Amino acid sequence: MRSATAVAPRRYIWIAGVSLLAAAGLLGLAVGGVRLSWSDLLSGEGAPAETARLIVSLRAPRVALAALVGAALALSGAAMQALLKNPLADPFLLGTSGGAAAGAALATLAGVSPLASPVAAFLGAIASSLGVATLARRGGRLDLQRLLLYGLIANAFFSAVLLGVFSVASSSAARTMLFWMMGSLADATLGRVVSLAPYAALGSVILGLYAARLNLIAVGEENAAALGVDTEAAKRSVFLAASMLTGAAVAFAGIIGFVGLLVPHAARAVVGNDQRRLLPLSAVGGAALLVTADALSRVAFAPAELPIGAVTAAVGAPLFAWMLLREP
Amino acid sequence: MRLEARGLQAGYGRTEALRGLDARILAGEIAAVLGENGSGKSTFLKVVARILPASAGEVRLDGEALSSLPRRQTARRIAYVPQSVDLVFPIRALDLVLQGRAPHARGFSPDGPADRARALAAMQACDVADLAERDASALSGGETRRVFLARALAQEAEIWLLDEPTSGLDPRHRVEFLDVLRRSHQERHFTIVLVTHEIDLAAELADRILLIRHGRALAEGTPTEVLTAENLRRAFDVQFDLAGGRFAVIGPSSGAASER
Repeated sequence: MRSATAVAPRRYIWIAGVSLLAAAGLLGLAVGGVRLSWSDLLSGEGAPAETARLIVSLRAPRVALAALVGAALALSGAAMQALLKNPLADPFLLGTSGGAAAGAALATLAGVSPLASPVAAFLGAIASSLGVATLARRGGRLDLQRLLLYGLIANAFFSAVLLGVFSVASSSAARTMLFWMMGSLADATLGRVVSLAPYAALGSVILGLYAARLNLIAVGEENAAALGVDTEAAKRSVFLAASMLTGAAVAFAGIIGFVGLLVPHAARAVVGNDQRRLLPLSAVGGAALLVTADALSRVAFAPAELPIGAVTAAVGAPLFAWMLLREP
Repeated sequence: MRLEARGLQAGYGRTEALRGLDARILAGEIAAVLGENGSGKSTFLKVVARILPASAGEVRLDGEALSSLPRRQTARRIAYVPQSVDLVFPIRALDLVLQGRAPHARGFSPDGPADRARALAAMQACDVADLAERDASALSGGETRRVFLARALAQEAEIWLLDEPTSGLDPRHRVEFLDVLRRSHQERHFTIVLVTHEIDLAAELADRILLIRHGRALAEGTPTEVLTAENLRRAFDVQFDLAGGRFAVIGPSSGAASER
């Protein structure tokens, strides 16, 4: 018998989350180098309306891409946190994003079609996560300190790979390399949004299917096994889905840090650690955060654009330091 | 016959913990598993709970090999109460108890009113109903132990596996915990397998004692049959004085080396 008072706030949380995302979307459409007049857009007729429509049609894919990438990174972070029983797990800090970027960059250097870059990023993400998790294991347990240290080492290594590729690549390819290293949504097109969507959808569906089992795993692997979960299969599926989400996000937007750390942390403070609520709210929150951060990156020093990764790091790094300080 | 282990082998990586364990536990019995540290007691529980796979041999439940049954089906029949859990994320005590309903629920999501009613009734029975809304990661050791007992009750399992249930509890919490355990057992007559270092507790509580050494059964039977000075000396490498119905350690064993 769940009391009515417990249900009402939950509904409000969702209304608030979706409203926030909608507001972020409108902000993303409205701000940029050129100011958009909503009255022109809505008036419908004449040259100003045409211009307004043109601006929206140019900015809409960017907003959509930011939303998908933000949702994918936040979901990936939330799932990895439950899986590793560690609130500090984040695709960027654990080197997963770096591995994905290196995979995509190497594929580009090898002349592989850009369409295959998500696959290369996915493989890079898996290789990196597996490597870090294997090295950080001590006595059958994942050690938190070692996990973060090996994540740092992986990031340094993949930066070297990217710089290496960057120095031998042609100048046009070099620009792409820079994009992967700093993260950018500037090259957003409808085609990129459509290409990313199936990866994001598949990863989200898999994580959604495992959400209830992740609740049992977040208490402990032995706990989940004793309650009937095939933990090895669950770990594998969640790990692959999270790596795919990170890989796809990196392939289309480069390395954008801290979204997977910040958003689940905030969402957990609102709905608790029930993955069946935490995962969807993280997705909505991640989308809203990245759309807002992208809008900020465009207007903060307009007409120059800040790299989106710099904006998320500016917010995420202090929060990460605060979380580390609170660790016992 | 209910639970049977035959030639059970299991371990962690290259470390062997069980080296061909044989054991039989009847329905409704309280069985205590005794042995020195590293003898394989907890490993035995983990294999029965399907946390750890057996590398050889098998566990049979009513004559059926455990490994041939679907995991969720065995989780409905066997509840595991861990020695301790390290809760990283906050979780309401009630939600922890509700997890006991997960093996019964569709998609491991025990959200129905019936599940909730069962969980609350189990918390009532274990005297932890007032903790339902509290964060389980902030509870004391004694409270956590009883919350997990409530979870086993909510799981409605016929077999309970308890790993050192009284270790680290002060006398009052120990008495309260054992009270709840005894009461639940009297009401529901399920099978209890408990691992413990307390020989006195085992002698007092158990119908059957399983004495393990180096991953094999050293002796099995009623407390009077098994808890002899000689068996205890062989199991623990120390001399016991059994006078007055107590199990007092009186000194190192002289024949320790010959046991290996």
